[in-house]
Parts: sequence; C-alpha cells; structure tokens
Amino acid sequence: MSSRIRARLGVAIAVGCYLLATYWVFTRSAPLVSQRPVTIRVAHWQIEKGPPEGLDAVIRRYEQLNPRVKVEQVLVPGGGPVYRQWLRSNLIGGTGVDLLEYGYWLDGMTDIPARYFAPITKEMLEPNPYNRGTPLEKVPWSETFTDGLIVQQVTAPVPGQFYAATLTEVSTRLFCNRDLLREITGGTKMPTTLKELRTLSAQVRAFAARTGRPVYTLAGSRDNANWLLQFLMQGAMMPLSQRNDRFGTLALNAWDELGHYLEGRWTYDSPEARAGLELMREISLNMKPGFLQSMRDAATQEFLRGDSLFIFAGTWDGTSLRTLASFPVDVIRFPQPTPDDPVVGKFYYGPYADGGGGTSMELYLNKQSPHPQEAIDFLRFASSIEGNQIFTDHSGWLPATRFVKVPESIQAYVTPRDCFTFGMPYTIIGSNVAASLDRNMHLLTGPVGSVDKFVEAMATVMPSAVRVDLQKEISNRFLAIRPQDLQITALGELARGTPEDRELPQSRERLESSQTQTEALIYQMQLQLARAGEEGSGRR
Amino acid sequence: MPVPTPFPRRAPRWRWCLLLFVPLAAPASDDVRDAWRLVADHLNRDAAVRLSRSRESQTRARRLAEATVAIDAQPVTQERLRAAEAELAALAAGDDEIAAAAGYLRGRLYQVHFQQLDLPRAAALYRELADRQPRSHWAQLGLVKLGLLTLYALPEPSAPAERIAAAAALRPRLQEKELGRDLDLQLGRAVLFYGLPPAQALPHLLAADRAGGLIGQAYEDLIVMIGELSMRTGDYAQARAYFERYEREVSYNMRVVTVRRRLEELAALERAAREAKR
Repeated sequence: MSSRIRARLGVAIAVGCYLLATYWVFTRSAPLVSQRPVTIRVAHWQIEKGPPEGLDAVIRRYEQLNPRVKVEQVLVPGGGPVYRQWLRSNLIGGTGVDLLEYGYWLDGMTDIPARYFAPITKEMLEPNPYNRGTPLEKVPWSETFTDGLIVQQVTAPVPGQFYAATLTEVSTRLFCNRDLLREITGGTKMPTTLKELRTLSAQVRAFAARTGRPVYTLAGSRDNANWLLQFLMQGAMMPLSQRNDRFGTLALNAWDELGHYLEGRWTYDSPEARAGLELMREISLNMKPGFLQSMRDAATQEFLRGDSLFIFAGTWDGTSLRTLASFPVDVIRFPQPTPDDPVVGKFYYGPYADGGGGTSMELYLNKQSPHPQEAIDFLRFASSIEGNQIFTDHSGWLPATRFVKVPESIQAYVTPRDCFTFGMPYTIIGSNVAASLDRNMHLLTGPVGSVDKFVEAMATVMPSAVRVDLQKEISNRFLAIRPQDLQITALGELARGTPEDRELPQSRERLESSQTQTEALIYQMQLQLARAGEEGSGRR
Repeated sequence: MPVPTPFPRRAPRWRWCLLLFVPLAAPASDDVRDAWRLVADHLNRDAAVRLSRSRESQTRARRLAEATVAIDAQPVTQERLRAAEAELAALAAGDDEIAAAAGYLRGRLYQVHFQQLDLPRAAALYRELADRQPRSHWAQLGLVKLGLLTLYALPEPSAPAERIAAAAALRPRLQEKELGRDLDLQLGRAVLFYGLPPAQALPHLLAADRAGGLIGQAYEDLIVMIGELSMRTGDYAQARAYFERYEREVSYNMRVVTVRRRLEELAALERAAREAKR
C-alpha cells in the first residue's frame, strides 16, 4: 500500500471516528450541560443493597414532577472514617453538597450540625405540600414521621429545633439461616427467650464439635457486638435510669448520662451495669474468637458462608442479607430476658426495646447550599407518603412516614409498641466514651476477659472520657447559640418593619425559647463539671 | 451659585411639627432589610457584603445591622467583638427599639460571645435595660437571660433555694406570655436539677403548660414531667390527666409504652388510696 493511500485511509478513519463520536454524543449520551437549571446533590453512606435503588426511584419520580430540578445521589462509603473525612473536608472547603446524611454517633463529629447545618424548623411546622390529598394533608411535616422525629430532636444542637428529615425506621433483629437451623436442631423453631437461646447455643456448640465444622451461634464483628451491647445495656440499666430521672422525663439524654456519671450516680460497676455486661459476655462467647478485629462486612460474609446460625444486625443490613444469601433467611426479634433470668432477671422492668425508638437515614440541609428551597422541597417529597412509599418499595427498608404501607416481606422489621426504653444506652453517649468502650471491649468479650477486668479498665478511663465528652457538649452548644443572637435580632428587626407578618415574631419566639433551653443545659453541665472537679467524683 | 436643595432655604416655623411623623426608630431601608433577611437565613457573610456595598446613609438601623453582623464575622476576633460592643454601646444610649436591641446584644456579648465571659457584667446590663425600657421586648428577653444567670451562674446568691427565689422574683416583671413561660419552665427544671422537692417545681411547670406554645420535644417532655412529678408527689388525678394527655397526643413516641405502664401503676396506687380511706 502506497503511503498516499495509507494517509487517505488514516484520514478517512479519523473522520469516521469523529462522525461516530458526534452521532453518539448527540443521540445517546446524557446532555453535556443539564437542561435543568437547578442541580441539588444528596450524599449518604447507605451503600448497602437497597437504599441507593430506593433513592434513585424517588429521584426519578421527583424529577418528573419538577422539570426544573436535577437531583444527584452521591454515595460515600461507610459511616466510618471515609465518610467522616469526606464530610468534614467538604464542609470546611465550602464544597459540601446540599443534603447530607449525618448521625450524632459519628466519632468526633458532634460539632458538625451546629457549624454547618441549617435548621428547618419553620418548614417542619407546616404541612408537607406533597401530602396533599392524603390523610396527612393538614398535619405539620414533623408529625408525619412515625416517631415524630424524636431522635433528631434529642440530638439537635438546639432543643426545640428541627434539623433533619428521615427516610427510614430502623430496628435490630436476629437474622437466621433456616437451613442451618434445621440441620442443627432438626426443626425450625426459633428461640423467643434468653433461656431458649442458651439451649440452642449449646446445641450449636455440640453440632460444631460433632461435625468438625466451624459453626457459631452468632456471626461476630466489632460493629455487631457494639449493637448487641447497646441493646443489652439499655435494657439492663432501665431501673437505674428511672432512679436517676431527676426531671421525670422518663427518658435520659446522652448529656444526662454523662452528667450523672460525674455525679457518681452510675458507673459500669453499678449492679445493673454489671448484669448487662455479664449477659454481653455470655452471648459474645457464642461468636467466633477474635471477632473484635473484624468489621460488619466480615460478619455478613461469615453468615452468608453458613458459618453462623444467626447474625444480630440492624434492619439496614436486611436487604443485603436476604438478597445475597443462598439459603432462606428468617427474621426474628432478639430473644428477651424473663424476670427469672439468672443474670439480668433481678433488674427486669420489661422487654428491651429493639427498634421503634426512632427514624433514621437523616438528611440535613447544608447552610451553604446554593439551593436551599429546592433541597427542602426534595426532602419534603422524599418523606411524603408517595415519596417514602417509593423508597420503601425499592429499598426493602422500613418507611419513616406514617401511612406508608409496609410490604409483607419486611413486616418482621416493624417494632410494635411493646418494649421499653429510657433513653440512651450508656455506650454511645459521647465519642470519647464510645472510643474507650471500643478500646476495652476485648477485656469483656475476649477468651480470657471478664466483667471485672472490663469494669476496672473503664473505671480508669471513664472520668476523663466523660469530662471531655461533656465539655464537647458544652462547646457544641455554644457554637449553636452564638449565631442565633444574630438571627433573633434579624427576625426582630424584620418584624418591626413588617408588623403585619405574623410568622416573623413566631419564628423569633421559637428561636428564643430553644436558645434559652440550650443555655440552661449549658449551665447545668458546667455546674456538673465544676462540682466533679471539686469533689473528684465520678469514680464511685 | 448656591447648591439647590429639595427644601426651601427658610423652612416654615411649624417645621418642628414634622418630627411628630418620624417614628421613634425609623424602619430599616431596603439594603438593611435585605441584610437582615440574609442574616435570618444564616447567610451572615452575604449580609456583611450587602451592607458594605450599600450606598444608603449611615442610619441607626444600619449601624445596628453592621454591629450585629460583625459579632459573627469569621474569623471572630476579640478586637472585632470589642469594636462591635463600642458601637452597640453608642446605639444603646438612645431610647428607641434600636437602643433596646443594642443594649440586649451588649449583654449577650458578655454572656456568650467574648472569649473571657463576664457574667456579672452581662447581668448588670440586662438589669439596666429592664430598668430603662421595661416594656421593650429586648428588655423582657434580657430578664429571661438574667433569670438563667441567677439560677446557675452568678456567684450570689449561692444557695440553690435562694437562687430560685431570686430568679422567681423576676417573673412578675415579664409581661410577654412566651418569655414568662420560658422562665417558668427553667424555674421548674432548676428546682429538680438542684434536688429540691418536686412539689416546688410543679407550679412553675404547670404555669409553663398553661401559657402553651412549646413545640417538639420541649412540649413532650413538659407533659410527661408534670405527669411523673404529680405521681411522685401523690397528686394522682393530675398525674392521670397528664399521662392520658401524653398518650393521646404523643402516641408515636416509644416513651408512650412507659407512660402506659405508669398508668397501670397509677391505677394500683389510686385503688390503694381509696381502700386506705375506707
């Protein structure tokens, strides 16, 4: 082939490729520039099977209803370090997306809401327009959630203010490998009490010894163990929580428990705490040795391999477990203790709460969002009856909105109003306390561990961990209330200029009221810290 | 050649009467109002920019807006706060609403904004404002803050019961219903925080409930608190009324399970009380 022909052929191929690419760009690919003038982004860490699909379906419907707005879903791995670093660095750099998932229990992140999230109280007190024509048509948005957004309120930087809308209700459940249960016991009868669980665990151990298979009653990991500890401690501590309930609210907040610790009203050496820890040790010995070195993914794989009969997990893992398992997965509630239980029976008040306490996958509005109205509008749709139904149907997660129909396949996740909780579980009450627990958990659950060793170690680290966490509670609240002075003044001045506007004085009054409540909390916490400093208490 | 002015050189003798039509504090101009709107939406930086670019004259309203925005201008420095305080002090010398707002914000600077807080100074500023302009909203709000300082933070009085009595003495001066409610709520909670008899807290909490208007968790907590404290103090009828109200109005909260258990316990207590009477 002559060089002239080769050159022509080359040019022809290049022109052909160019024309093909042009055709592709204009006919097949997404437009280079969005035809929708507004783009909002929603970031979350729920990358398990279910939620991304659910949110995608919600977005598709929302975009049909709102041709002006494009919504993008940003998936960031894990509620762990990756998400934390991503969240903080983007917020500091002013590149945070419009709506962000956040959890009060995220380690070292308690200052985030006060610094970067905008309250949506005004909108929450008005009906959600997307509920028009439904039973929730005239109901304030905040009251359309199955829990009245109680967790959001309790953890809000300022009491009385709403900061987030939620998409799902979570509970903790025992997921069971039905085939393995039949192989071990010859039947499919599930345990309903701790006594029955103990009997079944003995059968599992005997089966493993007999067959030489490394089968355990519970799949183990640090995360799953932490969830179990929360459930057990919250239940075992109920009588003590009631004794310490000085305000008569029948529920203790994290800062209450931190303050009570400094006042010497509880320690991990308290009889109720010891009973809860004893039960935790007993149950955790049915997990694979060394499980504390694994994260939840390892426990999921252990369960999916058929190496454990149960996995104790949140319903957030439900869709993954049920779609990935090669065996039928049954869902039951964790067996409850009874008043005659040898370990915790003495402190039995009633069934321990295993869900129903609050809704989750909370999405917060970034203060720096360039499109706050559109972002709030999307939140409204996602948590309306229609939007949340779409989310539920496509995610396999429970709804957070009242009147949304729960599909038969996830009915077992619903927690009826039949169990008790008195607030926080004495574990995740502050990031330093939680980290101290994490560091010392091996002393409780390890093969040579014991309740005594754990209690002794915690007695050493808790006073300073509690102080630091309480200090953080105070400094976070200062962060929240200082800018409110500006808002209160602004609302006052605006109201003075437009006396006919009734909303302005009301907004101001609500902000003043919640600010006053926050300040009272600050002073109470400061007094608790000061007294503990004087008396050196918190070690009793 | 003289510069033309919109007014005649010699104003009529009755010109002073025009002052009657000037409100005590002139309403904010467009730029200032826009800035306030931005502040209300948490956009303080944008508000500062709006004010700095404004060509409007330096009115008291604008000076208040600038001083307010400066309080939270990032990075917050003590120099800026001191400059804002000086401006607020100058504005507070008047007797209009702007003066009252400025006086209140001065108190707030000493109470929560300065690096070195000076709570007695904040309390003194709130007292001064309440004496000077007692009916102003800002003075009334200052009294609530003074109540909090008295309850928990000021060195004197130091005994809890005396603190509560001193804060309660402020209560009659609060004319605004919602602010009175907020102080009532804090008086009740302070009684319980200090471990004083719950019976002393109940009147304050009941007054807060009568005023109404609380929302969300604060409201839910108040209802359940009154129910529980009434039960503890033996007022079973009142306890029942509040627990039943909670059950009716807040059924979505898991706490309702405990409230139902309390109602069962209450029934047993009521029975025992009836039998004891026989």
